[in-house]
Amino acid sequence: MPAKNRKQRPSAGYIPVDSFSDLAFLLIIFFILVTSLQKQSGFVTDIPSGQKSEAQPEKTTSITIRDDRISLNDQFLDVFQLRAKLQEMNLPARKAQEEKIVLLEAVGGVHYQTYFEVMAAISSAGGVIAIVKEDQGPKK
Amino acid sequence: MKPRRRRNAVNVPVASMGDIAFLLIIFFMVCSNFIKESSIRLQPPRAADLRALKETPVTVSISAEGEIFLQGQRVPDAQAIEWGVAALIKDKATPEGRTVVFKCDQKMGKEVFEPVLDSIAKAGALVAAMGEETQ
Repeated sequence: MPAKNRKQRPSAGYIPVDSFSDLAFLLIIFFILVTSLQKQSGFVTDIPSGQKSEAQPEKTTSITIRDDRISLNDQFLDVFQLRAKLQEMNLPARKAQEEKIVLLEAVGGVHYQTYFEVMAAISSAGGVIAIVKEDQGPKK
Repeated sequence: MKPRRRRNAVNVPVASMGDIAFLLIIFFMVCSNFIKESSIRLQPPRAADLRALKETPVTVSISAEGEIFLQGQRVPDAQAIEWGVAALIKDKATPEGRTVVFKCDQKMGKEVFEPVLDSIAKAGALVAAMGEETQ
C-alpha cells in the first residue's frame, strides 16, 4: 500500500496543556496586583445621636478642639497629655453609661487629623464619644 | 580522533507547573480583598492605640477634594449618607453588621466630616474610623 493513501490517524487523546501554566501565571499576576494584604486599623465607636440637651450631668467630661488646639475641661493639653488624663479618669469603671460620655466639640478650623487623634484617645480610654455641634446661631 | 558524543536534548518537566500555578490562583482568590475604592484619593490620619479592624460591608469615604462616597459611589451630601447607611444596615442585627468603616483625608475640615459622622450616627450605625498606627 502506498504511503500517500494511508490516512493519518489522530494521536490518541492528547490535550495540549503546555500553555496552561502561562495562562495560570498570568492569572496569578492579576491576583497579586489586585490583592490588598494591608490590614485596616482604627477604632470602633458608637456615637450617640440625639437632640442637644440643656442639662448635662456635672461629671461629664468635655473636650474642645479650637483651631486644632485641644482642651479638656477648659485646660489646654497636647494629645499625649490628653491620653494620660483620660486614662487617669478610669472611665470603664464608672457604672452609669452617662458618666462614660465624653463631649467632643470642634470650634473654628479643625482638621480631621486632630479630631481623629482625640477620638482614638477617648475610645482607647473606654469613653463614649458624643459629638457636640457648634451653634449655628438663630435662624432668620 | 575521538568519536563525537551526541548530546541528549534537555527535557525540563513542566507538566506539573500548571497544577502549582492553579493552586496559587486558588490561594489568591480565597485571600483576595478587592479594592472597591481605589480611585478615591485620601491620606488617612495617624494615631496611636489603634486596633485591627474587621472587614465590614459598608464604607463611607471623604476624599482629599472633599467629595463624599458611599460604597465607592459619590453622593451629594451628608443627608444622603444617613439614608444610604440606614438602608444598607436595615436588616443587620449584629454590631458587626451595623458597623460602617469611615475613611477621611487627614487635612479635611470639620465642616465636611462632622456632618457625615453625625449622619452615620443618626442612621444607627457604629463608626469604625480608619487610620494608620503611629510607631
